[in-house]
Amino acid sequence: MGSQSDAVLVRRILAGQVELYQVLVERYRAEFGRYATAMLGGDADDAADALQEAFIRAYRSLASCREPERFKAWLFRIVSNQCHNTRRGRRGHLRLDTIEDPPDDSTERQLEANEIGRTIQAALDDLTPEQREAFVLKHIEGYSYADMAVLLEVGEDALKMRVHRARDELQRKLEGLR
Amino acid sequence: MNERQGLSPEAHRFLDGEAAGDIGPEDRRAADQFEQAVQSYASGLETPDSAVDRVVMAAVRAEARGARRQSVWQWLVSPHLFSVRPALVAAAAVALIVFGRVLIDVPGVGIGDRPTGAEAQATILVRFELRAPEAQRVSIAGSFNEWSPEGVELVRNATTGLWTATVPLHPGEHEYLFVIDGSQWIPDPNAHAQVDDGFGQANSVIVVGPRGVVRS
Repeated sequence: MGSQSDAVLVRRILAGQVELYQVLVERYRAEFGRYATAMLGGDADDAADALQEAFIRAYRSLASCREPERFKAWLFRIVSNQCHNTRRGRRGHLRLDTIEDPPDDSTERQLEANEIGRTIQAALDDLTPEQREAFVLKHIEGYSYADMAVLLEVGEDALKMRVHRARDELQRKLEGLR
Repeated sequence: MNERQGLSPEAHRFLDGEAAGDIGPEDRRAADQFEQAVQSYASGLETPDSAVDRVVMAAVRAEARGARRQSVWQWLVSPHLFSVRPALVAAAAVALIVFGRVLIDVPGVGIGDRPTGAEAQATILVRFELRAPEAQRVSIAGSFNEWSPEGVELVRNATTGLWTATVPLHPGEHEYLFVIDGSQWIPDPNAHAQVDDGFGQANSVIVVGPRGVVRS
């Protein structure tokens, strides 16, 4: 059952086999969950809420997915929009405390890793939404530019530009630590 | 590399996985440090666990139950237009009288009794056929085999190009499509009914009665 393509699963769900929706949720929860966490400042609780809302919205409008073969890209747009909405909803009180303070007996290396994490998180929050999305897909999810172009329906050159600008911004913040 | 300008073009190309040419040691070190920092951040990200699945599926089941109730209720309360020929009314009346008499004459079975378990489980052999001389493989996917395209393969007659399969089906209404070469889903051109599949395409419909296929 897990090997069924997205398109077949979508057809069967629309034919009344709603339990099969769980296969799609399990298939994309980890990948899109990591994306959502990075997009939402590292807050796993906000990411879980956004992901749940996105999956439920996707089910409600499943019949409008005109190309079931491209279900993943269709679902990604819903997850992406939900993350943007969540960020807009909490604008002005972005939480930068989601990387917990280490215990007192932490090694110097752990403390340094923690500081780097906070810096990257803060730098990601300062990027434009387009740059943040491109950077997360490239460096957190490990997508190729070609796959990103399919998912986002944006040209590879434009995506490369966004990633480069995001890297430069992060690099400047990281240099400040050294 | 100017530390206030971010990464050099060579470092970007290196991080993009392109040939970075003769990248200098300083740029290479900057690219490596950058990659390690991002990997350190990514490995510390918490991701939502399976609690998400439970919440989503509870909502999905509730939606599906609501949709079914609404569908039945809307059908019951909405006006329906029936066109009935007088000759059909007379024929139905005669059939009701005859059928009623048959049921009454059978000991232990009355009008309105449901079919027995054996009758409900009976299967009818239904023959499907599709003319597709160019196809390499044809299967049938439908509500009776959970829409699995691997479920029922049709057999090809090399002379006529006709693909056929005989499938045991329970009485009731079934939706189905032919799957050509594992990727092209098409309705049955010989089906006596088609319904919208929600994607703007059609599913074929077959209605099976206790004694065979019911033609509409």
